[in-house]
Amino acid sequence: MTPPLYQPSDNVDAVIVGSGAGGAPLAARLAQAGLSVVVLEAGDRFLPDEHVADEVAADLYWLEERLSGGADPTAFGANNSGMGVGGSTLHWGAFCPRPDARDLSLRTMMGVGDDWPIAFDELIAYVEQVERFIGVSGPAHYPWDAARRYPLPPVSRNAPADAMARGCAALGLTATDAPAALVSRDWQQPHWGQRQACVNCGTCHQGCRNAAKTSMDTTWLPLAIAHGAEVRDRSRVIDIERDRAGRVDGVVYRRDGQDVRQRCGALFLCAGGVETPRLLLNLDLANSSGQVGRHFMAHVATQVWGRFDADMRMNRGYPSSLISEDMMRPADAGCAGGYLIQSLGVLPVTLATNLTRGAGLWGERLVGMIDDYHRLAGIGINGECLPDERNRLTLSDEIDAFGLRKARIDFSYGENERAVDAHARRTLTAIWEAAGARDILALDRSAHTIGTCRMGRDGDHAVVDADGRSFDVPNLYICDNSIFPSALAANPALTIMALSLRCAAQFLNSRTRGE
Amino acid sequence: MPTLFFLHALGASAQEWDAVVARLRDRYDCVALDMPGFGDAADAGYVDVAAAVAWFTREVRARRPDRWLIVGHSMGGKIATLVAAQAREGVAGLSGLAGVVLVAASPPAPEPMDEDRRRQMLGWFADGPASEAQARTFVAANVAADLPPAMEARAVADVRRSHRQAWLGWLERGSREDWSEEAGRLPIPALILAGGEDGDLGEEAQRRWNLPHYPNGRIAVVADAAHLLPYEQPERLADLIAAHAEHALASALPAAFLNLLGSARVSAQTRRLLLERHAGPAADARTLLTDRQVEILKLLIAHVLPDAADPADLARRIDVALASGEGDGWRYADLPPDASGWTMALDLLDQHGFADQAAAAREDLLRSIAEGADTVGVRLAPWTCRQWQHWFADARGEIVRQWMALPRTMARIGYDGFAVGGDDQRKQGYVRTGADDPEPWQLSARRPA
Repeated sequence: MTPPLYQPSDNVDAVIVGSGAGGAPLAARLAQAGLSVVVLEAGDRFLPDEHVADEVAADLYWLEERLSGGADPTAFGANNSGMGVGGSTLHWGAFCPRPDARDLSLRTMMGVGDDWPIAFDELIAYVEQVERFIGVSGPAHYPWDAARRYPLPPVSRNAPADAMARGCAALGLTATDAPAALVSRDWQQPHWGQRQACVNCGTCHQGCRNAAKTSMDTTWLPLAIAHGAEVRDRSRVIDIERDRAGRVDGVVYRRDGQDVRQRCGALFLCAGGVETPRLLLNLDLANSSGQVGRHFMAHVATQVWGRFDADMRMNRGYPSSLISEDMMRPADAGCAGGYLIQSLGVLPVTLATNLTRGAGLWGERLVGMIDDYHRLAGIGINGECLPDERNRLTLSDEIDAFGLRKARIDFSYGENERAVDAHARRTLTAIWEAAGARDILALDRSAHTIGTCRMGRDGDHAVVDADGRSFDVPNLYICDNSIFPSALAANPALTIMALSLRCAAQFLNSRTRGE
Repeated sequence: MPTLFFLHALGASAQEWDAVVARLRDRYDCVALDMPGFGDAADAGYVDVAAAVAWFTREVRARRPDRWLIVGHSMGGKIATLVAAQAREGVAGLSGLAGVVLVAASPPAPEPMDEDRRRQMLGWFADGPASEAQARTFVAANVAADLPPAMEARAVADVRRSHRQAWLGWLERGSREDWSEEAGRLPIPALILAGGEDGDLGEEAQRRWNLPHYPNGRIAVVADAAHLLPYEQPERLADLIAAHAEHALASALPAAFLNLLGSARVSAQTRRLLLERHAGPAADARTLLTDRQVEILKLLIAHVLPDAADPADLARRIDVALASGEGDGWRYADLPPDASGWTMALDLLDQHGFADQAAAAREDLLRSIAEGADTVGVRLAPWTCRQWQHWFADARGEIVRQWMALPRTMARIGYDGFAVGGDDQRKQGYVRTGADDPEPWQLSARRPA
């Protein structure tokens, strides 16, 4: 993708660790401002064409072992962090709802959770910039936000979406075409080229083969590269060096077995909600607050499945093509915040393993469900998870291949999450019954890795400030889902990209001010 | 009816297979071909190894066989192996290849050939076709006992009508070209036959030069034959081919699935990966579990996927995956690392008589484990009921993941989601996405039981 532009001995303005939703927009903005930028990515680079439409063969996932504990251990692997130039946007579902204003003020409004130290209007202005640049397809009229406009018309609904629309209509719930970060029409992406219109192939999670789906390697990174950023793949950061004043002056990464020290003026950690805190804890860095690793959050991601009489073929089409935001503040749920509902088409391996792990199915019942794959359809949620002191990432005694201690994540649902889950089971089951599903069952699931390096106004209780800047190390920044002070019900990637643009703008402002 | 393709030896033609085909044609669609430069295709002159592979690939595509095997004799054996390598790489139109039979086959590596013999053979065609006497010498040198006169006459005539350049080209170049790297390891079921009295391409050469390419290959020696086995022992050869075809076809994917897999809707890379997965781990793949642990695992699989999975096949796949150390990105914090977790759990189940119990009792135990019943921690100490619950969830997840990822299981449920993309500029997805609106190319859904 890029020839080497900088030498390790060059003191580049910025090194960005991670090329996903947190690192890539930032890389573009800093490079556009004329800064020298090096992005370090642990994984390989891919061309869209090289992705494989197979759940087991796709190699876009962070599959290095994490230990999962607590009362409700969350699954890592294929559903969370990604590995490769583009990070987890290579395999994300591209379901792209905006954050809800109320979710940023949960503490003020509901007395629980935490408020974000960023004003909603400011954040949403960045969200709109992101949507225009990456190409989001969505409905002409968004029922929960009259002013909202999407740059592209929605993708085709699939059979699960039609079923959800039917069920919601019968219950008087509003549902519409989901905002999806993919292009429903051919789209010229600056500095990359043609992204072809989505062909409804259904393999978003295995990597998009025609670049219809937004991933960083086909959007923000080409913009960054066009402005002089260098992206180094297979480069695993293993150390961060500081000068006598405690400022970062270089990072050490391993590439093909060789350790390379890259000097830099500022360091941005954008490695996600597990790898960012793991690195900091391993290096005992930026943690005077003791908050690194704390308040791990995963969205409540309960699903309900059922059999239909029709031939559903749910692997066809964009998997989550319908949304409802009606349950963002359910009156009778007993939880703070709420949840988004989406229709689900899931490929067989993921479905089968979720059914056996999350719904405890095995034996004839499991085989019977799988044999009926083409008649199944699902509906699922993404629900608010409150920050909780007890949910945290710590280091295990086990060492990984790079000599760093593995992450251990303890996660347990609190009352809020149990209430979200219970309400969602009732609601989704009712929708599915109304849609004509039989043999309905629910499965337990949590998703996304959030928190662990929270941002805040006060260095005693937060790791970074609202700009992502470490309270301890003045030229160390964090920009990924680990800085979320609360989970937000919306899927995180869009918000991460918006924060990434904001982090870049604030960093550039601070340079102008000579800080 | 499955198809058998036959590729002949140097200086022969399709008719060398006549007696073999006579015994097989009511069970198989037998296609014996004249290779370019020989038989009725002598006018083609010399076609090098790469071009011969391309020619045969076209011949297969033109016939669109659902499921097929290649039988390659001597020179034809080298082409057969290289075509199998193309199929492994996911080349379109070759997905239905179910097995290979090599008959006194030339290997992908330079053929071991006595240099005096090579010089003599080159000499016969130096200035034009071989004489009757030279051709007779050639045939006589390659049989264990004299052929019946009519058969010998046909063999001799075939030698003489070979195109001079084809004969020289194979001896000077084709037989000497080294294609071992391209051939690589071919997981496809292969029967490698040697004539008991063959010379340079006898059993030892087959073991040394061909078998290493076929980790799931098997060698058999045909007695009372030298190099021209199709003439010398046609009935015995036909029976061996039929038995191997039956064995290979038993593990072949259904025709409709193979047709789709072979189509341009599937990218070559996806096709290659699915065929490789279908073939399963190589016979010499590294494993972790003891025979006893495998037995326990097979029982477990039979409970998790009753009458749906082949427990022995799936257990082996899981075993090989465990030995490889590749994980799925996480594990329960209260369990030991995957490999030791599995061996401990299987041993503990065994110690508690899992194998000796009636199926109903095993089912009850597994249900208690899944439910996290307190009694489990007592019965299956030292692990706690929570650890057992976690391990069984993990084990189920891995069993189900490996099973569902098999092309055979995709075929079982009519899943065609791999056929979206292809290698063209525009990727092919689905045009129709609503219910009850399948596209004509799609596989049929499994009928409800």
